[in-house]
Amino acid sequence: MRGIQLPLSKTQKVRLQKTLEQLESLSSKVNSDASVIIADSIPVNHEDGVLKGHGTADLNGEVVATLCGVVERVNKLVYVRALRSRYKPEVGDIVIGRVAEVAQKRWRLDINFNQDAVLMLSSMNMPDGVQRRRTALDELNMRCIFEENDVVCAEVRGFQHDGLHLQARSRKYGKLNRGQLLTVPPYLVKRQKQHFHHLEEFGVDLILGCNGFIWVGEHIEAKDDMVEDQVSQSDPQVLLHNSASLEEQEKNYTILDIRKYICRAANAVRVLSVLGFNITLEIIKGIIDLSLSMNLDIHEMLGSEFCVLVAEKEAERRSSNKKKR
Amino acid sequence: MKGRDGLICLVEEIHGSEEKQKQWQKEGKLVQNPSLVAELLCRQSASASASASEQVQKNKEVESMNPKPNTEISIPEADTRPEGERMLRAATQHGFDAFEWAAKERGSVYHSLSLRSRVGFSRLQRQKLKKMQIEGIVTQQPTMGSLKRKSPEEPSTSSSLPLHDCVHHVSYPPGYTHPSSPPTQTHAEPAKKFPFTLDPFQSQAITCLENGESVMVSAHTSAGKTVVASYAIAMSLRDGQRVIYTSPIKALSNQKYREFKEEFSDVGLMTGDVTIDPNASCLVMTTEIWRSMQYKGSEITREVAWIVFDEVHYMRDRERGVVWEESIVLSPKNSRFVFLSATVPNAKEFADWVAKVHKQPCHVVYTDYRPTPLQHYIFPSGGDGLYLVVDDKGKFREDSFQKSLNALVPTTEGDKKKENGKRQKGLIMGRVGEESDIFKMVKMIIQRQYDPVILFSFSKRECELLAMQMAKMDLNGDQEKDNIEQIFNSAMDMLSDDDKKLPQARYFLNSVSNMLPLLKRGIGVHHSGLLPILKEVIEILFQEGLIKCLFATETFSIGLNMPAKTVVFTNVRKFDGDKFRWISSGEYIQMSGRAGRRGIDDRGICILMVDEKMEPSTAKNMVKGAADSLNSAFHLSYNTILNQMRCEDGDPEKLIRNSFFQFQADRAIPDLEKQIKLLEKERESIVIEEENSLKDYFNLLEQHRSLNKEVRDIVLSPRHCLPFLQPGRLVSLDCTSSDEDLTPVFIEDQLTWGLVINFERVKSVSDDDASVKPEDASYNVDVLTRCVVKKDKIGKKSIKIVPLKEVGEPLVVSVPISQVNTISSLRLFIPKDLLPLEARENTLKKVLETLSRFGEKGLPLLDPEEDMKIQSNSYKKASRRIEALESLFEKHEIAKSPLIKQKLKVFQRKQELTAKIKSIKKTLRSSTTLAFKDELKARKRVLRRLGYATSDNVVELKGKVACEISSADELTLTELMFNGVFKDIKVEEMVSLLSCFVWQEKIHDGAKPREELDLLFMQLQDTARRVAQLQLECKVEIDVESFVKSFRPDIMEAVYAWAKGSKFYEIMEITQVFEGSLIRAIRRLEEVLQQLIAAAKSIGETQLEAKFEEAVSMIKRDIVFAASLYL
Repeated sequence: MRGIQLPLSKTQKVRLQKTLEQLESLSSKVNSDASVIIADSIPVNHEDGVLKGHGTADLNGEVVATLCGVVERVNKLVYVRALRSRYKPEVGDIVIGRVAEVAQKRWRLDINFNQDAVLMLSSMNMPDGVQRRRTALDELNMRCIFEENDVVCAEVRGFQHDGLHLQARSRKYGKLNRGQLLTVPPYLVKRQKQHFHHLEEFGVDLILGCNGFIWVGEHIEAKDDMVEDQVSQSDPQVLLHNSASLEEQEKNYTILDIRKYICRAANAVRVLSVLGFNITLEIIKGIIDLSLSMNLDIHEMLGSEFCVLVAEKEAERRSSNKKKR
Repeated sequence: MKGRDGLICLVEEIHGSEEKQKQWQKEGKLVQNPSLVAELLCRQSASASASASEQVQKNKEVESMNPKPNTEISIPEADTRPEGERMLRAATQHGFDAFEWAAKERGSVYHSLSLRSRVGFSRLQRQKLKKMQIEGIVTQQPTMGSLKRKSPEEPSTSSSLPLHDCVHHVSYPPGYTHPSSPPTQTHAEPAKKFPFTLDPFQSQAITCLENGESVMVSAHTSAGKTVVASYAIAMSLRDGQRVIYTSPIKALSNQKYREFKEEFSDVGLMTGDVTIDPNASCLVMTTEIWRSMQYKGSEITREVAWIVFDEVHYMRDRERGVVWEESIVLSPKNSRFVFLSATVPNAKEFADWVAKVHKQPCHVVYTDYRPTPLQHYIFPSGGDGLYLVVDDKGKFREDSFQKSLNALVPTTEGDKKKENGKRQKGLIMGRVGEESDIFKMVKMIIQRQYDPVILFSFSKRECELLAMQMAKMDLNGDQEKDNIEQIFNSAMDMLSDDDKKLPQARYFLNSVSNMLPLLKRGIGVHHSGLLPILKEVIEILFQEGLIKCLFATETFSIGLNMPAKTVVFTNVRKFDGDKFRWISSGEYIQMSGRAGRRGIDDRGICILMVDEKMEPSTAKNMVKGAADSLNSAFHLSYNTILNQMRCEDGDPEKLIRNSFFQFQADRAIPDLEKQIKLLEKERESIVIEEENSLKDYFNLLEQHRSLNKEVRDIVLSPRHCLPFLQPGRLVSLDCTSSDEDLTPVFIEDQLTWGLVINFERVKSVSDDDASVKPEDASYNVDVLTRCVVKKDKIGKKSIKIVPLKEVGEPLVVSVPISQVNTISSLRLFIPKDLLPLEARENTLKKVLETLSRFGEKGLPLLDPEEDMKIQSNSYKKASRRIEALESLFEKHEIAKSPLIKQKLKVFQRKQELTAKIKSIKKTLRSSTTLAFKDELKARKRVLRRLGYATSDNVVELKGKVACEISSADELTLTELMFNGVFKDIKVEEMVSLLSCFVWQEKIHDGAKPREELDLLFMQLQDTARRVAQLQLECKVEIDVESFVKSFRPDIMEAVYAWAKGSKFYEIMEITQVFEGSLIRAIRRLEEVLQQLIAAAKSIGETQLEAKFEEAVSMIKRDIVFAASLYL
């Protein structure tokens, strides 16, 4: 049962069992024999050079796994993909982090990696959109941008000499407000072309951080930063007006409906996390729709019955997908 | 400083007018075309500025506080100069110039030069010299005084300088509303003050900068665009913003870094080779670095307010141009741009694009102005004088141009046989007992004091050969010689002793010890094959005026201001990869821009050595033509696609949509649509009765015609007809039709008769004659017939063949065989001497007589079968079908219609219109869809098939590796890496293998590398072939074999030895390549290795990473990585 911890009734247990078996049979079995544990030797053809990638080591002429996981091969490259681990950043990943510390010209963010990530002050767009060097004053005002415990969305820029660096390329990165942060095991979030999603029918934004941090929040109209900035840059009055209205907005409550939808979406993620299913936009939408069509209350979504139902639906979906192919 | 105030006033005034303009715009929609208004306003302000600058000039004169450093007071040979000038002026009046005569009069050895003391030192060099002095290198400084030589912004001494216009446009993005309030930060104080009056275009551009709006400055190289760049830098530094300056070439970046460092101090440099102070506010870098920074998302992208793109016309470069385009598109949306470009006619279009992509107004400041006017001369090869073809007012002189070309003809024709294939012979060797042209040229230039001179040639070898001919000359005095030696030696001290000797260097000039004597005589060579350090020393010496005569390749024409008084083009053709072609007018403009030093010369001189038959129009076009327009050379690379796919906001399609290429394509659409509409209207207006049967008839006619042509081609194939083209043979010719595009099908071709005089084979330029069989070559026939000779305005002679009875001259013209229509069986006697007009007239009369004798029947023709013995099947078939067709004509009813001819004409017109509409529609279709759409699809397919990305456009592991590699073919290299090729080979071998990725020059008889290297190379070729094959399968347009061949093993051995630790002179013995080229290749190799290190890191292969790092340490040493002198 893959350690799924749910208070299940007997029938539910049987149903879940069955579904999981079905899912297992559906999954491709290419790599099923390639799972290794630490110190397992990985069979390779030594004749023509082998490239030993992540999670492997050379031990007395043998390639040995240093991680528990699945052996992957790309041409001559052999590496081990860990099954469960902390998040391992890659350049270009979208991550969500929580500010752990405001330091010299930088914020340190917890992103579920084995070290804190660094977001430099200079890697953030200035709130006024002006392109300029950061001054000491900016440094003093850093807390105006992010404080400790703020939730921030950013992109992985790469490893520098002083650690993992993040950056915020455009305006859609930055502080996240009015929503929920969920943490799931990072392997449940697969890398995709898009990690920012807008569920239009619910007015909800969904950001699937590659590090297993998932944001569900009220939709914020993506500002066309170019036009916006032009106005703000050339006209301080407009800027003032803008910031005033921002404050106003802050005071405004998120309307109840949207809050409900946020919770619904969040619970959908929770269900998937409990079941250990990959988290994608499509599936989340499916679950929300399912819960709505069943007229379930939000809190009921976390009940065992719904979980089992979701699992069954998922199995159904996958098998139909497979048939299509 | 009244002048200063005047300038400020001016700036304010322009501010004011800008504001007014904004006001207008705000007030209503009255103003339909904002750019027009801006232009008008600009004119206003330009005239204001003109008067202001006049004022300034006056003020200065009154106060006489300007020391006018450049008047040639202290020059000892001041008396000789006017003489030279006078001679030239006299000569130009005559349109030609007997410099030989002058030489005799003045004595041939030129001594007084050594007395020159106008060695001015720019700040940069002064500093350098000081450094050297401190180090005890230079003991005595040459007269420094206040004389400044190199300073483009120097006020011109001639007060009668014509005030020049600049054109100013503003491009607004669509839907742009100007900010309602004036810019908040109007600084009363300009960010930088210049010690001279700004030219109108400069102050115009600076006004735009102060308003915080992007500007594109398009002006000649010497006009002083740098002023705008340095103002932008000063402004950014004042406002605490970052500024980036990008240039196309590393060497140029180095020089600019030096220049800005002197001025602003807070300057850093980033090129592939060096990084200095990357945290500085002003960063000088190559455009490639800037692009990769944007991909990687450097923090600089968030701090940069101004980006200066120097030499932005590089964007049309076939290979690298795309880098500019990407950099501009990807640049942060809030930053502003300064584009500096050579004169391009479509600067406005470029600005429109920038405005659209970045949603911000972009100004264009364009000026044709040259601070020192140019005179263009032609020197016909083997001739003995110069011909002024364009004077300093820019007027083209038809008469002397013709004269110059006439002077050329006899020499080329006389030696045609001898010089076959060795066009340069005259230039290099000279005829027996004479000096070579180039020697004469240089001698003349020195005598007339037209030095310093830059002589451009288009190949490195030619450049050196020419320089070697100057060995006899000595242009420098003893003191100058000492200076040269000191500067040279102190520069060479950077090298290790071994490198200093480079004793057996293959090229004479590159051996450090051999270069010096030549330099000391005031002669230099500058091309990309030189050791970088030598190149830089030569640049410095040239700037110091210690080199009087510099032989350079085209590369010298871009970049830092290094003008000479005279520029000579030793050739007018250049090899551009696959064929020889005339140099374009744009290239000519760029290179001739080096002539004339501002503030020193009152005009620049530009000499074109013409050495072969050149169409007058070609020559004119070259000299007087317009600048090349800036066209997009956009193309997709896998690296770009992957980098775009990798980032969340990135999308290769978005990049393409924003590209200049797409912009240019879109722009054409309305125009095309209009064209189609017009054409369709015209087509519909044509109404024809009985159209269908007419169409039938028309098609028959077409068929008949094509068959006739087929027959004729067979009969007239050289194999068949050559034996009959004896002198005196009567042949019929097609008359040259007046409007060539519209040959009416139905009318019998106008024929005339002529006498064959001779025939000769057409020499094709590219292939050598031996390889072509006599039968296959094409021939020209010289025919005596009646012609009308016309001269059009540009002086291009056009010869028109007309019927015999019409008015015209009897002439012998050369026509291609295909223009011969039929061959008669008659031959007439031709007089021995056809030179006198009467002889020709009489012969033609005889022809007429013969014609009239045969009357209606026409002359008896050679029968193809009986006389010419043509027995090919195709001939028989064709002639049978013609017969059949002819019988069909008879039956066709419409043929009897009286108006058939007119009808056919109308019908043909209609047909043509239809075809035209079709072709325009096709172009329209291709431009409305996204450019490169199919290619992008195909390339994505390749990436999927190779496992670089998934079908959801998510970049996979291999793709991430390929992302890192931008200096070599990313697919092949990544495949090699993942196939473990680098794993088991030695580091040297790996380096050697990688060298194939960076070496692009072609070497003809390069030796094969040794076996183990060759084996590796074969592996590389296999991989490359596989990659190319796959691309072909995915419908990427690629030539597999030429792709495979683009990897060249030529320097494998040399690089192997270098990695093994050999000395540089040792590896130069192994290979035949130029030193400079090899050094560049190794430097680039290091770049690739750095990228591979990053790639290996990203896949977690530590051993490989260590190996690459070791490789870097092995090759990064000594002369190859010797730091630039500018740093």
